[in-house]
Amino acid sequence: MKPSLNWDWAQRLLHFGLLRSASLMVPGTHREEWLREWRGELWHVQQACKPMGAVSGRGEREVTAFCLGAFQDAISFKPASSQRKILSIEMEGTASRCLLVLGAILVASYTVSLLLPGVRAEQSLWPRRVNPNLVLIQEDGYNNGSSPTISPTQFRSWSGRRQKYFDGFAFYTVTRETLGPGLESAGLQKVSASNAAWRVARASSNFFVLLGLPVEFAEPAVMAGGDLPKVILSETVWKREFSADPHVAGSTVRFGPRVVRIAGVAPDGSLGLPGRVDAWMLDSDADKESGGAGYVVAHLTAIGAAAMWASCVHITANEPDESQDDLMGVSLEEWRPAPRTLYLFAVFLALLSVPAVTSVSLGEYSPNPLRISWTRRLCLWSFLCAKILLLLPIVYFLSLDLAYGLTTIGRERASLLQLVSSFAIFLAGMWWVLKDQRQRCPVCIRCVAHPAQVGQASRTFLDWNGTEMMCMSGHTLLHVPCVPTSWFGTQRWLYLDPSWRFLFASSGAGWGMPDSPTFDRPLDPLGGNRWPH
Amino acid sequence: MANPAKPSEARLSHTAALILQALDAGFVYGFSIMEMTGLPSGTVYPAMRRLEQDGLIHSHWERQSIADEEQRPQRKYYKLTAAGKITLEASRRRYPLLERLIPNEEAKTV
Repeated sequence: MKPSLNWDWAQRLLHFGLLRSASLMVPGTHREEWLREWRGELWHVQQACKPMGAVSGRGEREVTAFCLGAFQDAISFKPASSQRKILSIEMEGTASRCLLVLGAILVASYTVSLLLPGVRAEQSLWPRRVNPNLVLIQEDGYNNGSSPTISPTQFRSWSGRRQKYFDGFAFYTVTRETLGPGLESAGLQKVSASNAAWRVARASSNFFVLLGLPVEFAEPAVMAGGDLPKVILSETVWKREFSADPHVAGSTVRFGPRVVRIAGVAPDGSLGLPGRVDAWMLDSDADKESGGAGYVVAHLTAIGAAAMWASCVHITANEPDESQDDLMGVSLEEWRPAPRTLYLFAVFLALLSVPAVTSVSLGEYSPNPLRISWTRRLCLWSFLCAKILLLLPIVYFLSLDLAYGLTTIGRERASLLQLVSSFAIFLAGMWWVLKDQRQRCPVCIRCVAHPAQVGQASRTFLDWNGTEMMCMSGHTLLHVPCVPTSWFGTQRWLYLDPSWRFLFASSGAGWGMPDSPTFDRPLDPLGGNRWPH
Repeated sequence: MANPAKPSEARLSHTAALILQALDAGFVYGFSIMEMTGLPSGTVYPAMRRLEQDGLIHSHWERQSIADEEQRPQRKYYKLTAAGKITLEASRRRYPLLERLIPNEEAKTV
């Protein structure tokens, strides 16, 4: 007896739990009464299916099925018809509702872009182009920048002489520095991994001035001087290790025994310089302290620029021992598109691709007995334009959020991600815009509703087979062929005469309302019962 | 609140008409209508709520003392309104088999 009793209680608990769970979907003001009715009914169902507490598999299943029906009731439960219900029905499928939703998406995507530090940083760091006429000088034959080739002695020799081709030089070498554990300033507590090895470029103090790149978030007091050597972080490290903190300038880091002060952030990639660099340490004696070869960046004079051929210039340099050395200057100018450029390019590509994914036709219109005014037609086209105009900034901000929201991926990957996401979102958006427009009643610009599959598939395509949808206000009927044929290639609008209006109550909530589940659809007056039962 | 109704214009679905017919035949609560019509609970109760909203039926709770006397939970009963009766008449003309499915003679006392 005991196991049977336990089983019975477990079942009762399960059924009650099902009803209680379903009741959570009912509005709070009606929940108690709704649950009271179902519990009352459950008692009777249990009595009928499991008389005298008998254990019966079939009975249990019936009771459980009864309880599961409560979910359907709870989902469809709506408080008695109210002004709100009528309003929601009136708003359903309207143009204003569609524009409101798009506007909400735009506001949301813009807000997210303001909140994500990576996106904020990306927008603040543009524009970022290096000075024109900058070249990287290397030994002839090593013009891929794979390894440094200029010795500090060579650099000092050139920079000390008057040059015909160049009016400015900067030297740098790249070394690996271990980030010390003794991080001192408040900003450094965000560094994720102490003792990490950074690739640090020791560069001449005029390096960024020569390149013409602004140092972001720099504080004048820090840049002007101070007791500690200055370090400019690369954008990647700033995002990865400092979570794109805009107040990072002034903090200190320790490279081995040496403490240096962060002076600002340099944008990645656009430098076009060889070697991945995590930070730039500015030092007027960079060339003297460097033991090995390094890279030299030089700015061309007008004569030097005129001597450029295919982004290269050949130089014969006089060495300190009066020998001559053949060198090559390779242009640093690199086209790195800004997010806006990438976005516009992706949108252009997507526009070209739209006909490949959807029909750009908005359908055929039958002769219109209502004679729609030109202002109505203008409204329809304005609505289409408004949707596209709202879609454009949505795509821009969403692609920024996706590409630059994650601060851990590099600039190149982020650019690629932005390009792909802009293309995909705009293409999908245009597909939706056109699809939505094709289903808008040309009279009231509301979405047609109540799709009904009519006809049947025919091998000869001679039978009518497709979907019919009706304007919720009774203006139009939309025929969409299942398979486009030569005699019915695209969707077709049929304007309904006013005799149909009696079917469509103005509130949409009263008698004869076609979308009320209680009532049948009207019979098709064109002949035959073509509505689904 | 029920919607003001124009019963003569009403076109009920077969399910809704069946439920009205069952109520008219004396099956006045959800489970008895389920048993009579063979419809599942997930169909009967939502349909009855919509019929009530449309003013075709109305509900009332039985007295607590009756439920206490029989040692069971209180139960909610449904009844056709005047509009519901007119609509049912129209539905019977539309669905002639309705009365054969649930004849009024099957009415049972509850």
